[in-house]
Amino acid sequence: MAKIKEKNKKSADFENPKYYINRELSWLKFNERVLSEAEDSDNPLFEKLKFLSISASNLDEFFMVRVASLKDMINADYKKLDIAGMTATEQLEEVLRHVHDFVDKQYEIYNKELVPALLANGLMICKAEDLIGKDREYVDRYFDEFVYPVLTPMAVDSSRPFPLIRNKTLNIAALLKKKEGKDDVDFATVQVPNVLPRVLEIPGNGGEDSVRKVIFLEDIIQKNISRLFLNYDVITSSPYRVGRNADLSIDEDEAEDLLKEIEKQIKRRQWGQAIRLEVEAGINKKLLKLITDELNVEENEIYNIDGPLDLTFLMKMYKLEGFDHLKEHRYNAPAPVPEFEQDDNIFEVISKGDILMHHPYETFENVVKFVERAAVDPDVLAIKQTLYRVSGNSPIIAALAKAADNGKQVTVLVELKARFDEENNIVWAKMLEKAGCHVIYGLVGLKTHCKITLVVRREDDGIKRYVHLATGNYNDSTAKQYTDVGLFTCAPAFGEDATAVFNMLSGYSEPLGWNKLSLAPLWLKDRIIDLIKREEEHAKNGESARIIAKMNSICHKDVIAELYKASSMGVKIDLIVRGICCLRTGIPGVSENITVRSIVGNYLEHSRIFYFENGGIPEYYASSADWMPRNLERRVEILFPVENEKLREKLWHILSVELADTDKAHVMDENGNYIKVDNKKLDASERVNSQKQFGDEAVRNSKVLSTQNSRVFIPEMKV
Amino acid sequence: MTGEVFAAIDVGSYEMALKVFELSHKNGVRELDYVRHRMDLGSETYATGRISHRHVEEMIRILLDFRQIMKSYGVTHYQAYGTSAVRETRDIEVVRDLIQQRTGIRIDILSNSEQRFLDYKSIALKHGFFKEIIAKPTAIVDIGGGSIQISLFEKDTLVATQNLKTGVLRIHTTMELVHAPRLKYMELVSELVNSQLSVFSKLYLKDNSIDNIIVIDDYVSPLVQRFSKEGKSDGYITTQEYLGFLSQANQVSDIVVAKKLNIPEDNVPLLYVSGVLIKCILDATNASNIWAPGITLCDGIAYEYAERKNFIKSPHDFEQDIVACAQNISKRFMGSKSRRETLQKIALTIFDNTKELHGLGKRDRLLLQIATILHDCGKYISVVYLGDCSYNIIMSTEIIGLSHLERLMVANIVRYNHEEFEYFGSPSRYMEGISREDYLRVAKLTAILRAANGLDRTHKQKFRDVKVKLEDDELVITVDTKADITLEKGLFNNRAAFFEEVFGIRPVIRQKKML
Repeated sequence: MAKIKEKNKKSADFENPKYYINRELSWLKFNERVLSEAEDSDNPLFEKLKFLSISASNLDEFFMVRVASLKDMINADYKKLDIAGMTATEQLEEVLRHVHDFVDKQYEIYNKELVPALLANGLMICKAEDLIGKDREYVDRYFDEFVYPVLTPMAVDSSRPFPLIRNKTLNIAALLKKKEGKDDVDFATVQVPNVLPRVLEIPGNGGEDSVRKVIFLEDIIQKNISRLFLNYDVITSSPYRVGRNADLSIDEDEAEDLLKEIEKQIKRRQWGQAIRLEVEAGINKKLLKLITDELNVEENEIYNIDGPLDLTFLMKMYKLEGFDHLKEHRYNAPAPVPEFEQDDNIFEVISKGDILMHHPYETFENVVKFVERAAVDPDVLAIKQTLYRVSGNSPIIAALAKAADNGKQVTVLVELKARFDEENNIVWAKMLEKAGCHVIYGLVGLKTHCKITLVVRREDDGIKRYVHLATGNYNDSTAKQYTDVGLFTCAPAFGEDATAVFNMLSGYSEPLGWNKLSLAPLWLKDRIIDLIKREEEHAKNGESARIIAKMNSICHKDVIAELYKASSMGVKIDLIVRGICCLRTGIPGVSENITVRSIVGNYLEHSRIFYFENGGIPEYYASSADWMPRNLERRVEILFPVENEKLREKLWHILSVELADTDKAHVMDENGNYIKVDNKKLDASERVNSQKQFGDEAVRNSKVLSTQNSRVFIPEMKV
Repeated sequence: MTGEVFAAIDVGSYEMALKVFELSHKNGVRELDYVRHRMDLGSETYATGRISHRHVEEMIRILLDFRQIMKSYGVTHYQAYGTSAVRETRDIEVVRDLIQQRTGIRIDILSNSEQRFLDYKSIALKHGFFKEIIAKPTAIVDIGGGSIQISLFEKDTLVATQNLKTGVLRIHTTMELVHAPRLKYMELVSELVNSQLSVFSKLYLKDNSIDNIIVIDDYVSPLVQRFSKEGKSDGYITTQEYLGFLSQANQVSDIVVAKKLNIPEDNVPLLYVSGVLIKCILDATNASNIWAPGITLCDGIAYEYAERKNFIKSPHDFEQDIVACAQNISKRFMGSKSRRETLQKIALTIFDNTKELHGLGKRDRLLLQIATILHDCGKYISVVYLGDCSYNIIMSTEIIGLSHLERLMVANIVRYNHEEFEYFGSPSRYMEGISREDYLRVAKLTAILRAANGLDRTHKQKFRDVKVKLEDDELVITVDTKADITLEKGLFNNRAAFFEEVFGIRPVIRQKKML
């Protein structure tokens, strides 16, 4: 019997496309989970606005990159099937069908839930035609003084071709007829200026109970559009928005100078092929035809929107003052990291033992301090760091520049190819160079996505290396929003490997061997597969075998097939995947032992943590890489082990609490749908909101410590 | 920190490497960083004798980068060496000067024997296991890009060393020239190597058996290093294990080998050449074990520096190896053991007792010792042209541990022992490349050797016990012998004249009357 079972296991085709979910459709499911937060009664109203806005900006990016890529494949007559066995055309059709439903859902939430709820809370979104009296005068005056001067209306006729409508900009199209003349109809378009706020608040009478009113900029323009075309009658006008192909694919082999090539690409991006047209529902048919003909978009690429186009404005509304009571306050601000509170000298603290930080629950400040301190420490000889995305006014960049100024040897790897951040990255890369840092721009054909900092310090015992390894970027602003883990260590094995990483990134040969780190694209994929295989062996031998893997996305076929195989051997696998997951759960003989859950909450889940039970001698890893082809094959990524027992307990706690989350977790069913954990019947004490719990615990830990460190002794009182 | 941060740079045939070390009394030599830049300098210089502009620019770029890395560790001293590719470059002085002007880094040129000696020294200094292994007959096989060096050890002592022009890069280039197909690769490489190896076998191996082979190379060593056995150093495997490993690699494609062994695909052909080379040597020696200690030239540079600066103490007498090597050369050319021992004794006694006169150091004493050992090797060819023949033999023979300059000095000291001395500035082809300072060293050592030789003019070793003392303006050499030394005394004046010319002191012989 056992033999037959074994034979069946071998014969299962783990690569069968029907066992996989298309990555685009899986991503759309993720965005649905984001959208579901906009209607979650547990969230305050303004948080709902934020989630709706995030779902909209996510969708914009999805079009620019993924839909664009599908279009490219179709245009290039690319025949290869995806992981789920779909052609590019099939994928695109399916994606667009889903997106139409998704957009309908977005506006249903906007119109039926959020707008009435805003009104109920004293905020009215006005239409231009509803304005009367002083409000009307104010808006008209605003148009005259601020809007009119920055508008550039453009008419289209035989001598003036259709202008290039820039990606993601909001525009107003109009049909015009000459006041004196024939019945010929002309087309005109005007961009809604992005130098002005999209939402204008109309000053109220100051009364406490009065409703605050806002109006959209496009409404103000439309109301006054006749003033732009004085010799014409405006027959009809309507807002529209174009989404274009923006995938930045640079042929690095051909680029003589990577920097210049990227600068060129940024300009070119604006003019990619139109792949999405959003128009207001009820737009004049003739006007619509004119636009669609000019932009060359298909029927299924047109979105008739029942409401304001481009919901990303909701993020601006979120920032309106006076609605603080409608925002989330249950989550704590980042707490101090206990170890660093005991001693001011960051190097001494790290020397006492490895430190694992869980952001944003624990502050990212220490990472910034690490670099800042290194910049001024007289014993520090060198600082090396990889930078992928940094914040606008980055204290890390400032510290690096200062370090170079102080005569330290500063090497910074700046990844210019970080999507949508290229322009920003070039600016500060040049700034760092100017400051005297040695700036390297990564490796041809590979994005450097790993997050690593190395500080070389001369101490009494000799040269000592301090290393920081992380799952998230060196970005102090996103570190407040993203959940990540970071490790500080001065263990020589890590120091040697970190040195080797920077040597490799500088173009030197690979080291002859690695102590602790596994690197993509060298051997990381093989390492992960080996780790999964080892669990299979343990399961086969009747030993304890389990995998818990938390990441943003999983869509590498080889890795998924290996997980299927492991599951079929009896390995219990729990995946915590926030975004894309091409793996299906519950397939008999294939993935019955696999669960997938996704946590979408107040913070963006971003850490990658892996647990392998290894027959009772568990191993823990953290990584900058998701289990995606791009991470494992086309990027420089790092997987690092966490070996200190206390820190492993911390990682175990993170994984187990997330697996127990009842408030923000969605669990994949056997159809690939995500079902939110039903917590309605649970007591408050039984409910788990992992993100909130981590925040509370971080604060508690830091308080415990500050009491321990207190020099004020409290006498025990007689009861 | 009481130690020092030191950098070693190796400008090799197929890569430039930098290693940064921390040297301290407490921890000895600790490697901090190792960067390698692949650059095929060898193929170019072996074929054209020049380094192209493109490569010079690349070297400058990398050396500037090395400087940054050195700065990042606070390096206080460095030593940069160029090996065979640089050595074989005709316009090397121009290139070196250009590089020094642009980078501030001076590249010294390492002779083959110095290079091999450094490699060998680093194994001995880095690994305690070395002493254990060389107790049995052992060959050190040092595989470079241009050539390989085979050194034989017996009972703790170096007995022979030979350089063969069968370096990995040279063989690889040849294989590419003949478009060697993969299936016949092993056979062709073996044929090429064995043709040179057979001469070595006939000369040195004869019927001697070799137990162990110590391998120094850049390709096989890192892989063999991964093997570890209890009680042995890492990288110690049996010949059987090694051959199994090689035949496995032979059966799969380069990409599979690269993937399986975690090495860059580019390295696979060179790994293969190195692997076959080692197999040929195993076949020739019948050795049963291989040890790859995993050292590089940079290690050698650092260990040598650390030893010189007293950060580490050597468990092995390296000078004795150089001496043993010279003795073996002497033996090969039928030199008389008793005569060289007598001469050595007299010459070194004079040297040791005239320090205030000559002001020379320990290294010069070694050169004198080697000159005494090799003083009559030319006799093997011609008794009439003894000086020139000795000179030629020394210049064509590897003396492991000596630099090219030192070898040239020894050859000249030996030559001027027999021939008339040529003064600095005279158009002598023998002194070409010798600086004024070194010329003076040659002159002083020649003077001592001549004086010593004068005492044993009849080659009868009449002076077994010699005492040397400086008295006023005379160097009194007291000999303790019952023999009749009338002839020696008579002829000594002639030999001593040069000593007087160089040191301003006249050597005189006094015979202690024996009872």
